[in-house]
Amino acid sequence: MEFIGGGFWMETDSNRQDMVMLVEHEAKEILHEEGIPVPCGMEISELPHEIRLRFPVALKVSDSRILHKSDVGGVRLNLGQKDLETEFQKMKEKFPGSSFLIEEMLPRGIEFIIGVVRDGTFGHVIMLGAGGIYTELYHDVAFRKIPISLADAGEMLEEIKSNRFCTGFRGMRINCAALKQMLVSVSNLVSKGKHGIETMDLNPVIVTSEDALVADAKMSVRAGKSGP
Amino acid sequence: MNNLFEALRNPGSVAVVGASPDRRKIGNAVLENLVRYGYSGRIYPVNPSCNEIFGLRCFPSLDGIDQAVDVAVIALPAEKSVEVLDQCVRNSSKFVIMVAGGFSELGEEGRKLEAQVRARINGTGTRVIGPNTVGVLFPHSALNTALTPNDRIYYPGKGSVAFISQSGALGLLVMDSITEFGMGVSGFVNIGNRVDVTEVEVLSMFMHDPNTRSIVLYLESISDGAAFFSKAREASLTKPVVLLKTGRSEESSRAASFHTGAMATDDRVLDGVLRQAGVIRAYDEVELLDYGRALAYQPPPSGDRIAVITTAGGVGVVTTDLLTTSHDGIRLRMASFSSEEKDELKKYALPIASVNNPIDLTADGSSEAYAAILNVLVESDNVDGIIAYALPQTPKIGVDIVDPLKVASRKKTLVAGVIGNRLSKSLLVELEKAGIPAYPSIGRATNAMKALYCYGVYRRRLLDGN
Repeated sequence: MEFIGGGFWMETDSNRQDMVMLVEHEAKEILHEEGIPVPCGMEISELPHEIRLRFPVALKVSDSRILHKSDVGGVRLNLGQKDLETEFQKMKEKFPGSSFLIEEMLPRGIEFIIGVVRDGTFGHVIMLGAGGIYTELYHDVAFRKIPISLADAGEMLEEIKSNRFCTGFRGMRINCAALKQMLVSVSNLVSKGKHGIETMDLNPVIVTSEDALVADAKMSVRAGKSGP
Repeated sequence: MNNLFEALRNPGSVAVVGASPDRRKIGNAVLENLVRYGYSGRIYPVNPSCNEIFGLRCFPSLDGIDQAVDVAVIALPAEKSVEVLDQCVRNSSKFVIMVAGGFSELGEEGRKLEAQVRARINGTGTRVIGPNTVGVLFPHSALNTALTPNDRIYYPGKGSVAFISQSGALGLLVMDSITEFGMGVSGFVNIGNRVDVTEVEVLSMFMHDPNTRSIVLYLESISDGAAFFSKAREASLTKPVVLLKTGRSEESSRAASFHTGAMATDDRVLDGVLRQAGVIRAYDEVELLDYGRALAYQPPPSGDRIAVITTAGGVGVVTTDLLTTSHDGIRLRMASFSSEEKDELKKYALPIASVNNPIDLTADGSSEAYAAILNVLVESDNVDGIIAYALPQTPKIGVDIVDPLKVASRKKTLVAGVIGNRLSKSLLVELEKAGIPAYPSIGRATNAMKALYCYGVYRRRLLDGN
C-alpha cells in the first residue's frame, strides 16, 4: 500500500493497482451529491469544541488502509457527548495519524446491502441483498446490469427474502419505495461515469418505515478519476 | 444488415468447396444433405479433380463460377479453408461457412489462422460463419449444409423455433432428438468459433425472420455482453428468447475486499441480467427446446392461475405440487372456480369426478367431456392458463382429444401433458402437428407453463418501457 496524496491510498495487495479506495467520508459525499441519503457527519483529526450533530453519535476511524473497521476496533456506536471525548482519545492512541468520522446514529431498521461491481461479461452490475453480517451467510442477493429502471429495482427486491418486510413481517414494515429509489440512484450515479466508480459496497443500508439511509460505504474508483 | 442475412436464410445459390464423391469426406456429406434435403437453388460443387458429383457439374474453383454465390461451404482442412477465402472474396460470395476445426480451440497456431481469416475478409462484403461449425439448416428454404449424413441423425422439418448453438455436435443431436415427435425448426445456425458472425447478429436475423416465433440459444460464452443484452432485450419484446449458458467466463478482477465482489458469481449475475433482458433461462438441452416450443406455439398466460384437467388423479396431484411449489423461484397458483362454474363443470363429469382444480374426470373422461370442460375453462375469468393431460389408459380417450385441445389453445394458453408410450407417442405426434406444446412428462409440462408465465411477466415489464 502506498500513499498517493489527496487523502487517497493506492491498494497494492488485494486490489488492482489502477484502483483507488476512497475513505468512507469521501464515498458518502459522492452519494450525497447524487441525492442518496447518508447520515449527517463530519471528518475530523481533532475533536472540535462544538459538534453540531444530534447525539448519540458513531465514531469511526477513517483511513483507506483499513477496510474492515469494526474488525480492528475502529468503530464505536451510540456515544453521548461525554463518551465521545473518552472514546476519541482511545481511538487516537490506537490509530495515530488516521482521521476519524463522527456521524449521527441511525434509527433501527432492516439492513440491506447495495453493491456495484464490474462483471467480465456484462460490465457494471448492481446488487441488492440482505445486509450486515447476513450477506455472505445467506447469499440472498439479486443482480442487474446497470442502468436499471424502477421496475428492475422492484423485481430485484422481489427476488430476495427480505422483501417480506415491505408488506410487514413480525410487526416490522419498511419503506420499500425509498430502497428502490436508492437502487436507481446508485445505478444512475455509476452510469454517469463522473467519478470513475469501479466497485462499491453500501453495507448496511438501513431501511425504516420512513426512509433508507446508507450507514456505511466503501468505494473504489479508477485512478486519475478519483475524488468527489 | 437483415437483407444481407436473407442470403443466408434463403440463398439463391450454394457452392460446396471440397465436394467429393468419397463417402468418407465431409464434402460428400455436406453435398448429399444439400441435395437430399431438397434445396432448389443453384448448387455448385467445387473440386479440381472431379467433373461431376451426384449428377451436378463440378467446378475446379470458385473462380470458374460466373455468379456471386450466396453461400459457400468450405469443407476442407483448416489451412486450406483459409486459402480458399481469397476465392470467396473474388467471387463476392456473401456468406462463407467454414466447416474445419483446428483453429483457436487448439491454441496459438489456430488463433493465428483465425487472425488470417479476419484479415482476408476485412473490408470485403464476404461474411464468415465458423470456423469449426457443423453448418446451418433452414427448412423453410430447404437448405441443409450440415456435415453429418442423414443415416446417422434425422434433420427436423419446418417449424417456428430458431436454434442458435455454439456447439455443433450438441446442436445436431438435439435436432435429431426433437424429430422424435415431429418438431420442426425455423432455422439452425452453429456459430462455431464465431471469428466474424456472432450470436448477436444471428439473433437479430431470427428476430426479423417471419418464420421464427421463438429463439433458443446454447452458448458457452457470450462474445459481447452489452451487445447481447440489448439485442436480447429488443428481441424479447416480439419473440421470446431462451438461453442455455454453460461454462464460466474469465474471472473479472473483483476486489476481494468488497462483499459485492465476493457475491458476484457468473451464475448470479447472469441470472439477474437475463431476467432484466426478458430472457428465459434453461438448464439443459431438453428444457431449452421445451421452452422454445411452448413460447413459439402459445402466448403467455395473462396471470398465474392455472387450471388442470386430467383423467388420472395422481397426475393431477403431482401437477399441483410442481406448479405451486417453488424450487426455481417461480410458483403458480391453482385456479379457483366459481360455484356457477363448478355447477357447469359437473354436467360433464360423473358424480365421483372432482370438479375442483385439478379437474379429474376419472376413467369416464372422454374427448367430448374434455371439449365441454375446456369450453368452460377458456370462458372463465378465474383461469389464466390450462394444463390438459391426454392420457390413453382409459377407453374413451384417443387421438380425437387433439381437436378440443387445439380449439381451446387458440383461446387460452394451453400446455398438454402425455404419459406413456404405446398410444402416447402418437398422441404427442398429433398434438405437435396441431401446434400444441405437448410434453411426455408432468414435470416438463408444468415447467413449460412456468416458462410461459415468466415470459409474460418479463414482456409486460419490457412493454412498460423499462
